[in-house]
Amino acid sequence: MTVKIWNFFPREALYECYQCARCTGSCPALEVASALGPRETILKCLNLGHDEIVEDEKLWVCCTCNVCEDRCPQKIPISDLLVALRNSAARRGNIPDKLEIAIELLAKTGRSMIVHQLDEMRAHHGLAPLLPVPVDEVREILKKTRLDEVVEF
Amino acid sequence: MKYAIYLGCAIPIKYPGFEAATRNVCERLGIDLVDLPFACCPPPTSLKMVHYDSWLALAALNLCMAEEAGLNLMTLCSGCVNTLKEANQTLKKSDSKRRKVNRILEEQNHHFKGTIEVTHILDVLYQDSVIEKLIKEKVREIPLKVGCHYGCHYFRPPKIMYPEELSEAESYVPVKMDHLLSIIGMEPTEYSRKFLCCGSPLGANSDQDAGYAIVKEKLRHIRERNIEALSVICPSCFEQFDMGQIALSRKFKDLVKVPTFYLTQLIGLSLGMSTKEVGLDVHRVKSKKLLEGIGIS
Ligand code: SF4
Ligand code: SF4
Repeated sequence: MTVKIWNFFPREALYECYQCARCTGSCPALEVASALGPRETILKCLNLGHDEIVEDEKLWVCCTCNVCEDRCPQKIPISDLLVALRNSAARRGNIPDKLEIAIELLAKTGRSMIVHQLDEMRAHHGLAPLLPVPVDEVREILKKTRLDEVVEF
Repeated sequence: MKYAIYLGCAIPIKYPGFEAATRNVCERLGIDLVDLPFACCPPPTSLKMVHYDSWLALAALNLCMAEEAGLNLMTLCSGCVNTLKEANQTLKKSDSKRRKVNRILEEQNHHFKGTIEVTHILDVLYQDSVIEKLIKEKVREIPLKVGCHYGCHYFRPPKIMYPEELSEAESYVPVKMDHLLSIIGMEPTEYSRKFLCCGSPLGANSDQDAGYAIVKEKLRHIRERNIEALSVICPSCFEQFDMGQIALSRKFKDLVKVPTFYLTQLIGLSLGMSTKEVGLDVHRVKSKKLLEGIGIS
């Protein structure tokens, strides 16, 4: 099953883009890596359609810094578009390995970080042990929202 | 003044010194903190990108815990504040999303009502009454040229993070950290590309070297202004600058490193805490010489 991204994002907004590249001109990801950049992402959505763009691994090369949306003179909700496209990509198995591992850890432990000999380290700073996360609740919630259709845990 | 303290994952696990400094600073400045068994926020850079519905539901769980305790929630991280503020706003505004999330949460005996606000430690410290107390309580000045880095998620998208304080261009330019640091005798210094991302999510999700290339670019502008210290309000930005400079200096032998601090470490020092108490010992880019130069050890 794919996410129907146009439920998440007003498709008509794509036509508001006049390809000025102000977004892309301020995109830090594009400055240092081979990213798509927001202007091209929008153009590809229009020309090739959603199905093709979500196959592209470059879709993930992004800082999620939201500068593009901030700079866009047309006020296109670019961040919503990027979230929708990536959600859809992940469903089709286009998801960076590192990210998949991070999500699996989060779903299993309720935290984004591995806890190792933590109590001693915290005591060194005069801190009490960390309160335990309600892991079962977290897992139940994530099962109910069907995260496991995208990342197994 | 009382808040539920939302520690997030990186600070209590990787940088407990930031937590110690924060708790100490809050106590000294009359801010009461309550601990609750929160889960991961979850990050705007990871779960939100992969599965929006899961992201929203898990964020709602955290918001519910604070609601049930009847407390506003104070975060220590730009990522956490981004997730929790946006989720809070979305769930307050959208009946359909709230209903959907509540159907799931009710099985765990929670119900999102929309009764609390989410804020960041920087905004908490920036309140008049807290600043007045800080002026009274500080025991030393920290006369260093400091460059502030706010972290993208702390203030973007502005319409979600600071809807009440938008500029004419519907943007928001953060200044609170600069102002706060000038109160403890620091010299906040502007630098080119101050609001450029630190590059951390790029490293985490795709390409570490590309992420560090952004650090290098920022550092160039920071050094140009002879900035001696960096101040951040996010553990991911911190790690990016701290580890990033170590990684870069292996490749570029003449790289001049600039020590990075978490905001409450600097405030803590000005309130008389020792460098060990605020946890400077675990920083990779050392600040010992710099601080000794101004009489802090
Ligand atoms: S800034 Fe806005 S209008 Fe210009 S190319 Fe980017 S998305 Fe299109
Ligand atoms: S959010 Fe991503 S696409 Fe937009 S400017 Fe930042 S790095 Fe570029």
